[in-house]
Amino acid sequence: MSAVDAARGRFADLTRAEQGVVGFVVLLAALLLFGLVTGGLAPTYFLYLVGLVGMYVLLSFGLNVQWGYTGLINFSVAAFFGIGAYGTALLTADNSPIGADGWQFSLAGVELVWVSGARLYGLLPLTVLGLLVAVALAAVVAVAIGIPTLRLRADYLAIASLGLAEVVRLLFLNQRGVTNGSAGLRGLPGFFDGWPVLGTLPQTLPGVQVHEVAVPGLGSTRLLGFTLGAPFWQALLNVGLVLAMVAVVFAVLRRVHRSPWGRVLRTIRSDEDLAEALGKDTYAFKMQSFVLGSVIMALAGVFYAHLNLFVSPGNLEPINTFYVWIAVILGGSGSNRGAIFGGFVVIAIREGTRFLGEVLPASFPLDLPLVTSTYATVVNNFASTRLLAVGLLIILVMRFRPQGVLPPQRELIWPASVAASAGPGETDPRETVTEDAAAGAPETGSDSDAEPDDPAARNGGEDDE
Amino acid sequence: MSVLEYLANGLVFSSIIVLSSIGLSLVYSIANFANFAHGDTMTVGAYTALVTFGFVGTLGAEVLGLPLGFFLALVVGVAVAAAVAVLTHKIVYEPLDIGSIGLLITSIGVAFVYRAIIQLGFGTGFVEFQIPLLRPIEALLPYGIRMTLHDVAIVGSAAVLVAGLHALLQYTDLGRKMRATADNPSLARVSGIRTDRIEIWTWVIGAGLAGAGGVFLGLYNNISPRMGFNILLVVFAAVILGGIGSVYGAMVGGFLIGMINQLTPILPRLGQEIPFVPESFGIPIGIEYANAIVFLIMVAVLLVRPSGIAGEEAT
Repeated sequence: MSAVDAARGRFADLTRAEQGVVGFVVLLAALLLFGLVTGGLAPTYFLYLVGLVGMYVLLSFGLNVQWGYTGLINFSVAAFFGIGAYGTALLTADNSPIGADGWQFSLAGVELVWVSGARLYGLLPLTVLGLLVAVALAAVVAVAIGIPTLRLRADYLAIASLGLAEVVRLLFLNQRGVTNGSAGLRGLPGFFDGWPVLGTLPQTLPGVQVHEVAVPGLGSTRLLGFTLGAPFWQALLNVGLVLAMVAVVFAVLRRVHRSPWGRVLRTIRSDEDLAEALGKDTYAFKMQSFVLGSVIMALAGVFYAHLNLFVSPGNLEPINTFYVWIAVILGGSGSNRGAIFGGFVVIAIREGTRFLGEVLPASFPLDLPLVTSTYATVVNNFASTRLLAVGLLIILVMRFRPQGVLPPQRELIWPASVAASAGPGETDPRETVTEDAAAGAPETGSDSDAEPDDPAARNGGEDDE
Repeated sequence: MSVLEYLANGLVFSSIIVLSSIGLSLVYSIANFANFAHGDTMTVGAYTALVTFGFVGTLGAEVLGLPLGFFLALVVGVAVAAAVAVLTHKIVYEPLDIGSIGLLITSIGVAFVYRAIIQLGFGTGFVEFQIPLLRPIEALLPYGIRMTLHDVAIVGSAAVLVAGLHALLQYTDLGRKMRATADNPSLARVSGIRTDRIEIWTWVIGAGLAGAGGVFLGLYNNISPRMGFNILLVVFAAVILGGIGSVYGAMVGGFLIGMINQLTPILPRLGQEIPFVPESFGIPIGIEYANAIVFLIMVAVLLVRPSGIAGEEAT
């Protein structure tokens, strides 16, 4: 009973937006559970979706570092995602033109590294090397793109980064000798292939046959009828991998966001001239933030490559960049909790439209002259509703809630300082912060991030001069 | 193919880029944001013309290998593109209370909505105007130029539109007000210019030219929902090269970028085309990188001279 009360108390403690998000998550979880129980949703596919959510959360974290913390308007998310995916795929794919078969590094006659099967002999699994290569490649490209673009004005940076992302995509598409061109790379191993224990775990785990679900006191019913075999365990392993990645990145970013380094980034976002005046090398800070964000995006790409076991230049299409932008601005720029929420919404859009397209009847039930034909065209091209949903969502968020659903209010403050300031007789510190953020009061350091258009407003002001 | 032929192709492609970049530059200078929906406005114009042409068909006599019905479809495409842009301005952009970056992001959403609606109606495939292909003009063949009357029509129409815009800007009251507003919105406002009206006219002219560019692009290649978005960055490159906010800069930038884009195939055999250079000289790069070259030029311009050819000093 007290647990229920505690939960209710905590729920009442949340802001309205947070309550809404909790409601959304509960509803989504209930829907998925319903699908699982009734057998409409295969467990392996469900885990695949969870993996994709984790991937979008990682991408959103990466963009959050760049746009949410620092105000860098980076439209090359897909490029860094693709670099991560290709970085590992080029080393590990079956049909990779520069595959790892027979690879050797030797120095002065001494063989330093050699490859045997899926393992770097005696050293580490090939997929780990792939991850390291992907991350290093992303960091190098981030510096290469950052050097020319990070000094540019915000809107120029947007255009230039989109252009350079297209250059990267064209390179992957057309350098067939290296990347296999539009055919893509296939036959990638799972991330844990070649690892000591985890590599063979899915095969050794027993298949579980689930037939009956017993509810104590109500008897048992035959609800589920599927076998949990090796593919299921494999998918579970992938989910574990992405959850570990998300957890580590989240922990690092939370620390980073509140650190002195993160505070400089936030200062740059809200007033770059001020940061300069305080003696900060803003260009260096921007570069660090850009590289950090790009590396996180590449990490998402590495995960995707070993989840999907196939990568192609299509993964570098600009639309993928804008999916991530949706996740970040909807969740709340600068808010990592918001980024997680955004990841869920993006998958809900991507998979929900697919699901709806299959569920809708092929022809309109009533025979009306114009409606029937319109309905038929719409259903035939239903995949396009995904694009429509993304577009409308961008417009509606910018119109009605430009700070996002979960703006970073308390995320920016060390919990200890919140506890310290909450003396007796004072108002709830959270409320204070919320109101300050809403009113845009300049005293607290936190509110500078509450509005995602801060750099924009500053920019507009400059233009007017 | 001969260099002259590449130049001719470049001229046709440049005409299309010039039309679209003028519109983008106008909107950039007066509405004060980078409009990512500009490319999809071109697509709107192209599909409207396609539908209209389907109705009026081979109406009337032929001019430059095109039935008069095509020119009617062009006018309808321009009008609808302009109307859609003004509606979008009224419904989406005007009520927004955010800075130029917020508008930029919103315009991406607008671009997706345009494209999604087109895809819902027409699918994602390629379509073409039902106009029979022409043989190249005989008189030009001896010079190694394969150019059809349709290409001449594109260049000619673009020239007429550009000349008309020049006249509008220089010799009419509206043009003067537009230039004043682009130059200094606050001063224009206190001088008694109703800048919100000027802004609507800017959308009409900018989107109308984009619609025309889209129709010609559809005639030049083919029509697909992604055509506008695919060419958007090339148009941005032209605007940035010319200098953001300058209409005449956009003309020059559009011309240069279109030419560079079409002349890429010459790069590997530069030595054979240019005198006093060794025959073997060339830059080994394929036409598949034509757009990549343009984007790199764009970034280079942003770095070295962000104000472009004709723009004022960057603010």
